[in-house]
Amino acid sequence: MADWQERITRDTKPSIRVEHDLRYAAAAPVVRAVPTWCDLGCGAGVAAADALADADLGRVVLVDADADALDQAGRDLRARETVRVEADLATEEGVAAVRGALGDAPGAVTCFEVIEHLETFVPLLEALVELAAAGWTIVASVPNDAFWALENPYHHTMWGEGAFEELRRLLPADAVVARQVPLDGSQLVVEGDDGALDVPPVAPRADAVPSHFVVAFGPRAAELTSRALAIGSDLDGRRRWERQRESTLAVLEAELEELRAYVKWSSDELARLNAPAEIRDQTPETVARREP
Amino acid sequence: MNVAFLVNDLQLSGGVGVVVEHARQVGRHGIDATLVLARERDDPDWRFRGLGDVEVLSLGEARTRSWDVAIATWWETTSALLELDAARRAYFVQSLEDRFYRPDDPQRLGAALTHDLPLQVITEARWIAETLEELRDQRVLLVRNGISKDVFAAPAELPVRLHGPLRIVVEGNPHVWFKGVGEALASVRQMREPHHLTVVTAARDLDADEIVGPLSHEEMAALYARSDVVLKLSRVEGMFGPPLEGMHCGATCVVTAVTGAEEYVEHGRNGLVVDWDDPRGTSRALDLLARDRALLHSLRLGALATARSWPSWEQAGTMMAAALREVARRPAPDAGPAFAAALSDVRAAIEAQALVVSQRDRLRYRVAPLERLDRVVERRPLRWLLAPLRRVWRRVRPS
Repeated sequence: MADWQERITRDTKPSIRVEHDLRYAAAAPVVRAVPTWCDLGCGAGVAAADALADADLGRVVLVDADADALDQAGRDLRARETVRVEADLATEEGVAAVRGALGDAPGAVTCFEVIEHLETFVPLLEALVELAAAGWTIVASVPNDAFWALENPYHHTMWGEGAFEELRRLLPADAVVARQVPLDGSQLVVEGDDGALDVPPVAPRADAVPSHFVVAFGPRAAELTSRALAIGSDLDGRRRWERQRESTLAVLEAELEELRAYVKWSSDELARLNAPAEIRDQTPETVARREP
Repeated sequence: MNVAFLVNDLQLSGGVGVVVEHARQVGRHGIDATLVLARERDDPDWRFRGLGDVEVLSLGEARTRSWDVAIATWWETTSALLELDAARRAYFVQSLEDRFYRPDDPQRLGAALTHDLPLQVITEARWIAETLEELRDQRVLLVRNGISKDVFAAPAELPVRLHGPLRIVVEGNPHVWFKGVGEALASVRQMREPHHLTVVTAARDLDADEIVGPLSHEEMAALYARSDVVLKLSRVEGMFGPPLEGMHCGATCVVTAVTGAEEYVEHGRNGLVVDWDDPRGTSRALDLLARDRALLHSLRLGALATARSWPSWEQAGTMMAAALREVARRPAPDAGPAFAAALSDVRAAIEAQALVVSQRDRLRYRVAPLERLDRVVERRPLRWLLAPLRRVWRRVRPS
């Protein structure tokens, strides 16, 4: 299957993983401070585990539509209680199941890279706004697909500046908005040095195009602060990922070619079978005999 | 949840088409939408896509029902809005409609006053949202219009057009002053490079290579697909749909910096922005595209990329459903500030009218001697004597 990196795993391209890590790191102060944390679309929970591995968490509600991913999520977290909810957040029933699992004490909800995957985000959005009104803090993100005009087959909605503005106006007026922008970097390490490196301060560019839009609303929304995160590039991992992608694509293209050939053969055969008998049964010899 | 969208009629117009499409789309999100005709029908309805999927009621029929949300979609429908039994009332603002009328037109004031009503507002363009928020202390919801991606379908490949005349499309009613159709035709007339002009309009007495219309969406899409440029020199627009539809079919645009253009037109990237009242400059921009086919292709590619990033009607419908639920969730706006704003606007209108009356009286006083003279020269002997002079005056007077 072509990998659009919709599911974050340990093998995910580092530049995509660091984006997820940063979003969870940005939400971490809120998550640590509340008795209940719900992670919508948690996947295998890789980025959350990186950001929150050392945190003593209260009740953790992990939500995803994929049972296998859900089973892996939360294993690296230190939580008092972990609840797993398999739910389709595009449905009223799925959203109701999540709300039922949340409990009474207001906490925090993270909803990163989920909204664009839903056939309809209306029930989820309505629930998030109601939760915020009830004292929960919500931190959510959507990608800036529109800038690249990417038609991602897994995304039901296309997000960009305009769509995000539409979303923002549906949220409480005091929602805190952040724009996530990729960084370029490099490291130079003298042989024998194995300590951590200090990355110099990064000056945000005013005209930088964001890769994602992040929004927080609810009582602890102000705890979302500006930050940057750098991790060493894994060139070997990246090459592996790109080669795997190339190989998968090649296999798919070959399979598609075979399928096309089969469809063509079937169509020809069907046409032949439906043709009048004298045409259907003709052979090169009978054709040659008919020609003067 | 049931929602009544109030429309004036179901005649062909971009605004009505948008409302029909929203009414159709929100049904997928559990919202039962109905179109309510705010006035009696006297013309047959235009066959909007999907109109058959949506219930249409007369105002009388709608009055007998209860609505969760009733929503006006044109300034003249706001009075009917208040006649419906609705838990929440809203206003879908597709443009600041007072601008459709000239400054001395009384309807201009009528349209402007509707923005003072204590209604929740949904709009389709960011510039409208921001303007209304400056005018009133209220958060405006935003739902951009979608595009029918199946009708205005992007070509899989965009062939380079190295040869042939520059194919230009101008659409709009030439009798509507703010559409700039006359200016567009004048600009094309001044072009030096080979071109082919198609005008989409119901009017026929125009100077163009081809005059077609009214066209269905499918026919418009086919026309855009064989065109290079959509030329639109409007003075007033809401969301400014036609150039965007053209972009979906691989045509770039030459437009004025009219409201709505800022949402998606980027000068030099997906189109060219020209000035108002500058037919010479506009014709030079068109000539440039006719000559420089590399620039033309680059703008057409940019236009296609912009189109791909624009929401479909399905996405817009999701956003509209979320907005309608938000309208139902939010408390109704406080009527106090709305009345204060309306009274203040009425007061301003009274002052403006008083100024007009006083200017008229002053002018009448100054014109009185001329009128007396006119009466004198109209008497029979003088009239006969002055006839040759009058003929000369008619020939030389400034028009």
